[in-house]
Amino acid sequence: MVVTLNPTVVSILPFLVFMVPLAFGGLIFALGRFGKAYRQGLALAGILLTLLISVIMTVRVLNGQVLTWWGNNFYVDGLSTLMELAASIMGVIVVVYSMKYFGAKTEVEEAHPYTSMTTYYGQILLFLGLMNWTCATNNIIMLYVSLEFTTLATVFLVTFHWNKPALEAGYKYLLLVTVGVVFALLGSVLLYSAATPYLPVSRVLLLTELGTIATKIPSNIVLLAAAFLVVGFGTKAGLVPFHAWLPDAHAEAPAPVSALLSGIVIKVGAYALARTISVFAPHYGTIPLFIAILCSISMIVGMMMAMIQDDLKRMLAYSSVAQIAYVIEGLGMGTYLGIYGGLMHLVNHTIVKGLLFLSVGAIIYSAGKRRISELAKVRFRMPITAFAFFVAVFAISGMPPFNGFVSKFTLFLAVGEAKLMWAAVIGIITSLFTLVCFFRAGYKIFWSEKEVHAVGAEATTATEVPAAMWAGMVLLALAAIVLGVFPQVIHPLLDSATKCVLAILIGG
Amino acid sequence: MGELITTLMACHFIASVGAAEIRNLRTSTLFLLVQSLLLSFIIVAFAEQSQNYSLYWWAALTFVTKVVIIPALLWWHIKHTEYIEVKPLVSFVVSFIILSIFLIAFYQMIRTYVGFIAPTAEATIEPARSSLALAFTIFVLGLYVLVVHRDAVKIIIGLHLIENGVHLALVTLVPKLPVTTILGIVSNVVVAAVMLLFLTESIYKAFGSADTLKLSSLKR
Repeated sequence: MVVTLNPTVVSILPFLVFMVPLAFGGLIFALGRFGKAYRQGLALAGILLTLLISVIMTVRVLNGQVLTWWGNNFYVDGLSTLMELAASIMGVIVVVYSMKYFGAKTEVEEAHPYTSMTTYYGQILLFLGLMNWTCATNNIIMLYVSLEFTTLATVFLVTFHWNKPALEAGYKYLLLVTVGVVFALLGSVLLYSAATPYLPVSRVLLLTELGTIATKIPSNIVLLAAAFLVVGFGTKAGLVPFHAWLPDAHAEAPAPVSALLSGIVIKVGAYALARTISVFAPHYGTIPLFIAILCSISMIVGMMMAMIQDDLKRMLAYSSVAQIAYVIEGLGMGTYLGIYGGLMHLVNHTIVKGLLFLSVGAIIYSAGKRRISELAKVRFRMPITAFAFFVAVFAISGMPPFNGFVSKFTLFLAVGEAKLMWAAVIGIITSLFTLVCFFRAGYKIFWSEKEVHAVGAEATTATEVPAAMWAGMVLLALAAIVLGVFPQVIHPLLDSATKCVLAILIGG
Repeated sequence: MGELITTLMACHFIASVGAAEIRNLRTSTLFLLVQSLLLSFIIVAFAEQSQNYSLYWWAALTFVTKVVIIPALLWWHIKHTEYIEVKPLVSFVVSFIILSIFLIAFYQMIRTYVGFIAPTAEATIEPARSSLALAFTIFVLGLYVLVVHRDAVKIIIGLHLIENGVHLALVTLVPKLPVTTILGIVSNVVVAAVMLLFLTESIYKAFGSADTLKLSSLKR
């Protein structure tokens, strides 16, 4: 396979894609208190503009260009646009969903001393800007800086309710991820220093130059740096044993924020690993093995912890721990098939976990409860939510004909190709148990005999949520089906993203 | 110049252990201030020795953020909460003795086998060699503080010890970092510190204590 670096074109788009949401975030902070129309209008305008920029960049990248700005400091290739497009689309859905989700009877009853809808929309836009910055930057140290800022921008979204559990979750999230990501800085510093003798005049270690130095620097430094990077970015992604913050943060945040956190925020860690570890993996056999062991442990622990949860959102959060492990396992293989499968699962998990959190948000919105045992007593008249939930359940368990099947099958092939058959077996078992776990929850909520429990006055009926909420869910559910039946729709984008990683790997 | 750097590093190490071990939070904060001040002195000494004046940016920004802003915020927080920390998991005498012995041994080990962690040949000769060993030692000390201490303020101090260790390694290994990148790193540290203190304050109000072990309502 011939893989080369595409010609670079100087363009201001890589700058705009993160400055536009940052500017709109600032505007919301300044003007949001004047009324609902201001904050919602600004949020929607900012996010749609970002989506437009991402789409334009994607089209240009698919036409074989690489966009750069400010020398080579900002560098947008297929992988960057893939992440930015996914983030913008999820952003639009989450913003529209939030307009109806809040302001009703559900999660907003308590007083919020320091958070408001103004800070909420402002922070979502700030986060998207920082996320796009992370994916556009080409400097290994700035990758750490912007990645850490994405954490900081989402902390007060986790503590939105400002009650005891939310504060506790936010504190753990901030502290543990900050400490974890410092390890990534240490790893980056080691790589940077080792690369200094081989750097051109600019004396800045660019991510695109990692490939050319991968075989030149001493192997003990690469392995040490790789371990630090896996700890650092693995903490951000929520791999076991660095996952302690994830279930708390993802469960205590408001549902649309959980969709953003599980759908996008943890993927930033996977993106950073794809940019760094994937470049070294083919040259060092121990890296794929180390990643496969870590990811298999993540899958088992995440799946088992998900099975014993009664809290619906905690169950989803633990399942994210298991699913992100599939993504990172693929990326850690460093082969075309592995990276392709990892990125495909990244996109699919964004769609499916976003869908799951949004449909659970809809259940909470209508029923006012989030424990499975309590929800089992509620009568549901929510056909659209139920449809969305079950599509997501089958998709996340890797059942055909949904999107999860295609990506997981690709991953298993890639892992088998790397002679790590046991890891593929663990992946398949985890998928089956995921199906059991989620299907049982869905069955208890939507299908079980309500009359048996409904003797008391406890039985309530939950009705369908407003269109602004289910529209996004239906969109994601359709995406899960379409990408499962016609995976070729997304092939050009994934192919371009994978080839970008490989091109850097062989140094152009 | 070499002796000055060695003295500064020794004082930096003592100040770090002081910040980590002293139970009075105000004194501990003062030790953190001195530790950061010594870090900026070390950077100035490096700049003079290697005639690399871009390191003055590092020293100045370290001074502004780590010597002025962060200790001031910590001091302001301690002023209206308790100033004796919540009892850690290991008692003072045991912790002090074990920690000192372990850290000195760890420092000697890294300094002796510096080849395993030094990415370039320059990093294996003095003063980079001692500096690198010291950076890793401070990093490990910070991790120890996070594991053993329960007080939320002490945990913030531990986090800053970790960051100071990594920044010392950064200065040693990559002395010619562009100013924009340095600005990014230090602004990151300041924002994280402000947010962490704000959350600590809110937790203190909500839970009535700064004991992080009581933050376990979500463990299931």
